[in-house]
Amino acid sequence: MTVAEPTPLQEQITLLELVDRVLHKGVVLTGDIMLSVADVDLVYVGLRVLLTSVATLDRLQAEGAA
Amino acid sequence: MIAAPGTTAWYVYGVVDASASLPPGRLRLVEEGPLAAVAGAVPLSEFGEEALAERLNDRRWLEVHVREHEEVLQRLAAGSTVVPFRFGAIYRQLDDVAAMLQERRADFTAALARVRGRIEVGVKGWADREQVSASLGDAPPQAASGRAYLERRLTERQRVEQVAALLADIAGDAHARLLRHADEGVANRTQPPELTGRAESMILNGAYLVGGDGAELAAEVAALEAEHRGRGVSFETTGPWPPHNFVEPGEGS
Repeated sequence: MTVAEPTPLQEQITLLELVDRVLHKGVVLTGDIMLSVADVDLVYVGLRVLLTSVATLDRLQAEGAA
Repeated sequence: MIAAPGTTAWYVYGVVDASASLPPGRLRLVEEGPLAAVAGAVPLSEFGEEALAERLNDRRWLEVHVREHEEVLQRLAAGSTVVPFRFGAIYRQLDDVAAMLQERRADFTAALARVRGRIEVGVKGWADREQVSASLGDAPPQAASGRAYLERRLTERQRVEQVAALLADIAGDAHARLLRHADEGVANRTQPPELTGRAESMILNGAYLVGGDGAELAAEVAALEAEHRGRGVSFETTGPWPPHNFVEPGEGS
């Protein structure tokens, strides 16, 4: 599906797409060990912070390299 | 993957027909009647309850494993009908996986029938609010007096509301039109700009379950794109995806 080498930003968007489906959709089970829905919401909050900080870091590195 | 008992668990990716065949590799089918779960051994040091809670906040770890989960489902979906599980279905024993299949047999059988022969396509709508605003006509005039300033502020506020209402209409209309070319569809919560990293606002985050190759849906996306491009609204498709959005009862429409 992807041909070109993805930029960091595109990687983030793709990860976001994946998180939206893989962590938020699909059959939910109650297993032996199982993620609770609350954990997933926490991941989403955590990921938001991480993605934002990674985006900032990438920009700073790009500016530093320029 | 062979490991001492008690150090590994079974991660389940999804459910397929028992007659499905797996690509060679580390995965195995756990059969139970007409169904089979697709499982792979994972170390408890990473996937145990406490370890997992911690790892989930490690972006690199999460990315690797979320991608791996999706890749397994994509490979399966290429050759079989698959019911995707949410990330993190982990069982200590294969017997537990079989018991889960038995317990949920009716649900999984219905889910397999629901998605059989169909693919999920994502459609996103994006809006450049400034361009949309400009497409509505002249911008409010520059303020010359105090009274004119207040009037201008009022007009600006009305303009923002007009843009929001127009975008809601466009998104609603687009979703309704796309649904006509799909068996089911869902408009999910739009993703905020700090996550998408894009200057445009996301106005539609739709997922559609379509038969065949989804050519009709693609044609409707192209029509929407052509219709709205001039006013700063664009549409894009993602996928095909395994049918993540259409395997839980109550999701989709």
